[in-house]
Amino acid sequence: MKFSRRDLLIGTAGVTAGIVFTPVPWKLLGDVSIWSQNWSWIPQPAHGPVETTLSPCTLCAAGCGMRVRMAAGFPVGISGVANHPLTKGALCTLGYAAHQLNWHPARLLRVRHSGRASSWPEAQAAFAAACAEGPIAVMDGRPGRAASVALETFAAKHNGSYQTVPGPETQALAPYAAWSGVPASTLGYDLENARTIVSFGAPLLDGWGTPGRFTRLWSARAAGQSDPQLRLIQIEPVLSHTAARAWRWLAVREGTQGALAAALARVLVEEHLVKAQGPLPEMTLEQAAVQAGLPIAEIRDLAHAMVEHGPTVVITSDGDPAVAALNVLLGAVGTPGGIILKSKVIPRHGAASTAPAKFRATVIDASVPWDLIPPAQGEVFRFATWDGGDSKADWLLPSPGFLEELTDIPTAPTSATETYAIATDLLAQPQETQTAAQFLRKIDASLPDVDKSIHARCEQIFQARLGTIYAGQSKPVAQFESAAKLEEQLRKGGVWLSEPPRNATLHCALKIWPAAAATAPAAPTDWTSTWAPPVLPPLAAKLYQESTVREAPARRLA
Amino acid sequence: MSETALIDRRWIARDAERASTARFLLWLFPWVCLLLLGIYAAGLCFYYGLNQTNMDNRFAFGMWIFLDLSIIAMGAGAFFTGFLVYILKQTDLKPVLNTAVVVGLTCYSGAVAVLMVDVGQPLRAWFTFWYPNTHSMLTEVTFCISCYLLVLILEYIPVLVQNRQLRRVPSFLVFEHQAHKLVPVLAGVGAFLSFFHQGSLGGLYGVLRGRPFAYRQGFAIWPSTFFLFILSAIAVGPSFLMLVVAAAEKITGQTLVDFRVYRKLGFISGVLLAIYVAAKAIDTYVWLNVTSPRLGFGPWDYYSYWPFSSTFLFAATVPLGLLPAILFIVPRTARHRGLLLLAAALTCCGVLLNRFVMTVQTLALPTLPFDPFLKYIPSWQEVATFGGVLAYGVIVYSLSYRYLPMFEATKGEAKNVSLD
Amino acid sequence: MSARYGMVIDLDRCTGCGACMIACASENNVPPAAPRATWRTGITPMLVHTLSNGKEGVDRREAFIPIACMQCEHETPCVSVCPQQAVELDKSTGIVMQMPQRCLGCRYCMTACPYHARYFNWWDPQWPPGMEHSLNPGVSVRMRGVVEKCNMCHARYHDALQKAAAAGKKKIDLADYVPACVEACPTGAIAFGNLADPNDPVTMAAKSPDAFRLLESIGTEPKIHYKTTQAWIRALADRNSGRPTEAQHV
Repeated sequence: MKFSRRDLLIGTAGVTAGIVFTPVPWKLLGDVSIWSQNWSWIPQPAHGPVETTLSPCTLCAAGCGMRVRMAAGFPVGISGVANHPLTKGALCTLGYAAHQLNWHPARLLRVRHSGRASSWPEAQAAFAAACAEGPIAVMDGRPGRAASVALETFAAKHNGSYQTVPGPETQALAPYAAWSGVPASTLGYDLENARTIVSFGAPLLDGWGTPGRFTRLWSARAAGQSDPQLRLIQIEPVLSHTAARAWRWLAVREGTQGALAAALARVLVEEHLVKAQGPLPEMTLEQAAVQAGLPIAEIRDLAHAMVEHGPTVVITSDGDPAVAALNVLLGAVGTPGGIILKSKVIPRHGAASTAPAKFRATVIDASVPWDLIPPAQGEVFRFATWDGGDSKADWLLPSPGFLEELTDIPTAPTSATETYAIATDLLAQPQETQTAAQFLRKIDASLPDVDKSIHARCEQIFQARLGTIYAGQSKPVAQFESAAKLEEQLRKGGVWLSEPPRNATLHCALKIWPAAAATAPAAPTDWTSTWAPPVLPPLAAKLYQESTVREAPARRLA
Repeated sequence: MSETALIDRRWIARDAERASTARFLLWLFPWVCLLLLGIYAAGLCFYYGLNQTNMDNRFAFGMWIFLDLSIIAMGAGAFFTGFLVYILKQTDLKPVLNTAVVVGLTCYSGAVAVLMVDVGQPLRAWFTFWYPNTHSMLTEVTFCISCYLLVLILEYIPVLVQNRQLRRVPSFLVFEHQAHKLVPVLAGVGAFLSFFHQGSLGGLYGVLRGRPFAYRQGFAIWPSTFFLFILSAIAVGPSFLMLVVAAAEKITGQTLVDFRVYRKLGFISGVLLAIYVAAKAIDTYVWLNVTSPRLGFGPWDYYSYWPFSSTFLFAATVPLGLLPAILFIVPRTARHRGLLLLAAALTCCGVLLNRFVMTVQTLALPTLPFDPFLKYIPSWQEVATFGGVLAYGVIVYSLSYRYLPMFEATKGEAKNVSLD
Repeated sequence: MSARYGMVIDLDRCTGCGACMIACASENNVPPAAPRATWRTGITPMLVHTLSNGKEGVDRREAFIPIACMQCEHETPCVSVCPQQAVELDKSTGIVMQMPQRCLGCRYCMTACPYHARYFNWWDPQWPPGMEHSLNPGVSVRMRGVVEKCNMCHARYHDALQKAAAAGKKKIDLADYVPACVEACPTGAIAFGNLADPNDPVTMAAKSPDAFRLLESIGTEPKIHYKTTQAWIRALADRNSGRPTEAQHV
């Protein structure tokens, strides 16, 4: 039988019509759409039970309590701890994406020497040689940790200088430290007892200090109230997020806060709004008002507002002594509601030794802010978890990342009470990383290791019998049977809170009203300024790139 | 003649006057380039995703949806002419019937092609058939357009098999004869389907209670835009058909239809347009004074943003609505070919404007009290895809005109089969 | 409906910090921004807008308003328009559920939503290498070409259901179901509760004279309420879209 073209056509038509009645096309259609739901390049979350564990955050000195959800051995979510005594369940804005930071593209996992790949043995050898040749500087950005003991001991034993880099919030307390003769790290703000807070540019509602502490306090005592129990007066040139919610916002020109403070001081004294305690600024009220660019009536108004609902405390963002002196006038140094002295159960190291003029090498711990360039550095061994870019360091040494390091959290800078917490390594420390303390121990094995230092501190807390441990519930230290049990609670993510020192007095010796600080701030500040790591979590782009609630950050790597 | 030209000539009807192969290829060349560019743009969208367009979360519908609504309105000439010829027995419109079918086919298939690029997951396009939502206008649109496309293909095949070479296949001839009987049924079905989906396209916007600019009350489940869209579609269908035929005449240099056909199409268009303008005026009044204020929005919310002033509303109603209706209906103006075609062009512009206003302006206007007025400019990929569809239409029509009896009044009558 | 989960967001407390946005993105496996993404093409199931009174200088007032899916109850605009029923108002929770696996990506629901609470995946989601390990197991990862939106952290509701079931109970304990944004807000501005329960503090807050909803006149019955004591915010919200010179978003 001849198979003609017509037969072919009819055959094709028949097959096409018939195939519709078979499952074939329908199954294929279904498969095709299932394929569109399971493309291989779309990542899938891990399978596995989800466990929750507590840990303090290690990204900045605040050490906020976090609840970390872990699945298949990785952190998959961060939230606050609802009844945490310090944070009241809140974290900073970007902290909720902290668990993604270990995979940030700028993560350092390879030793780099002058821009090219190197190795730990080479770095070790170079450092050992440097040690032999001249004095070493060791810089610590978060003094008071267990690791700090190792750093400081190394500097003391090996012809070195231990230098601390206090964070901006500790620096803001420096004037009071200078005037009262106590270390800034032992001072804190008694916000809970203040009724008026005058902030000169400090982003109190936007990441300042331990973020949750003040936001919760303000929410309970001020938000939505026409006559709030806690009055927040925000003084800054722009309408920041804090200023937008403050009870009063005073718009001042950039660089004039010192003049405004001088004017306020004049009014406070001349109108007998405070008991005159100490020196007055040289400028007259009129001169100061002109410099500040504000009408005198407005300044008088502000001065009255500052004192009519006391206790009042002034908080600066940069520790400008010319503004901090207002606290002396207001009697807010060493009194409830103002700058107070914290208890000191855990002895602090951190006394910087005298520095030689030049160093053969400088070791910069990962806790030092990325943009800080130390003077007289020699060969720089820079430890860091993320590469913040434009580093002039000779050696870039990868440090453990988020939750990858056993470390402890000394008292948060602005806290009113002494605290202590331990962050364990929930994730194994990657082989390619070392902390500065671990590195130095390779040179000198006698340096105290972090574990031992932590044991010692827990012992000190236990012996002092002061305060409570919060690990889901609060339990007084006195009720613990041993230091080991106490340490166990802390290693599970608990936190120790001391009590404020009784009968602690602070005498402020202020002879002359301080001169105003330099007009421009050292570095541009924006909403990322309170974020410590040099890189933002990738999700941060949601806040400025995919929305307009924040402006694009000035200096950080996204 | 060259070998190619000889082969080419064999596919053209013996008594048909057509341009030389070379000239025809020259004519096709730019359109083919445009089509290829469109395919490339669509390919980019398939490969990289819809970020290749300038649509965004606020302008979730952009140029392509405007294009779809517009060309489906233009393609309404297909069903409406079929309805007029086969159901209402207006046989003097027969000469343009094939053109109407081809125009409809290219408009609808082009629209479906663009829709496939427009959706984020084209592989799931069949979900609408499998999990249909009877409350959604878009379900109705999908079903009816798919079915109607099938109808159009079925209406086109009989035209296709009238090609000189194809009708030499006896089974095709037989098929064509049988299909000829089916055509009135197809026309009826097509009219029914089209009625609904033209309306549903209007209903797409009329049901959006979240967009007071578009929301209309209506009859039962159908907002007034349902009926207005049907009216405007059947008003513009004949106009667009007139323009296509006129363009064909201009390009080929031949007179393809009698002027009376133009006048008839124009008259039908004009009457429908007049009814449409009246209906729209009533609808606009009700909308601005009752429906919209009830939702908390008023004219100041719609017409305070440049360039969307009330000029648009005026333009759509008077110079692009009432004026062409008058030009079509009044004999003195309808006698002039130029004015007739002008009226047709104005009608098309009016419907385009109406579709634009419903799709683009609806999305540009803010709904939330703190939102700004938004702008949208299509990306080159979107424009190229649109160009590709246009090119596709021109190419299909050119090929159809060249190789098929588009303007034979005796549609379906078998000519003597000659031995070649 | 057995439960009607809703919120009351206190605009006097919202500082516009964005913690809710970050926590939401983290919980729901929302990818980091594509390089070309903007506020109009990003995926922000929770999105904070800035409001202002339109004045400049010392008279300027600003506030912040978080916008997420309003979980509309009456003739939910997006439910009725989806051609393949990929959106459904869940009667047991009052949550408007979106099924990305069935979504065709036609975006009709996005044109229907007057709150602009729906977001399209214009790009394939991409994380830096290794960051997939940080994805939340409870939430599926979407692909390009589908629409997504806030679903009130339904994975957390599911976990609460499982916890209740394990304890032999049929109803969840509301303390076990806290959406990510509610949990993250540092001032506690977002209150979450069951509006079907007359004793729920959120229900009572929603009835206070300071409370309002956006676009109430449209009649979609959103379940996200706002409250403020500030008259200028109230005036802004009560007005419809407004004249072009008034408060701008950008």
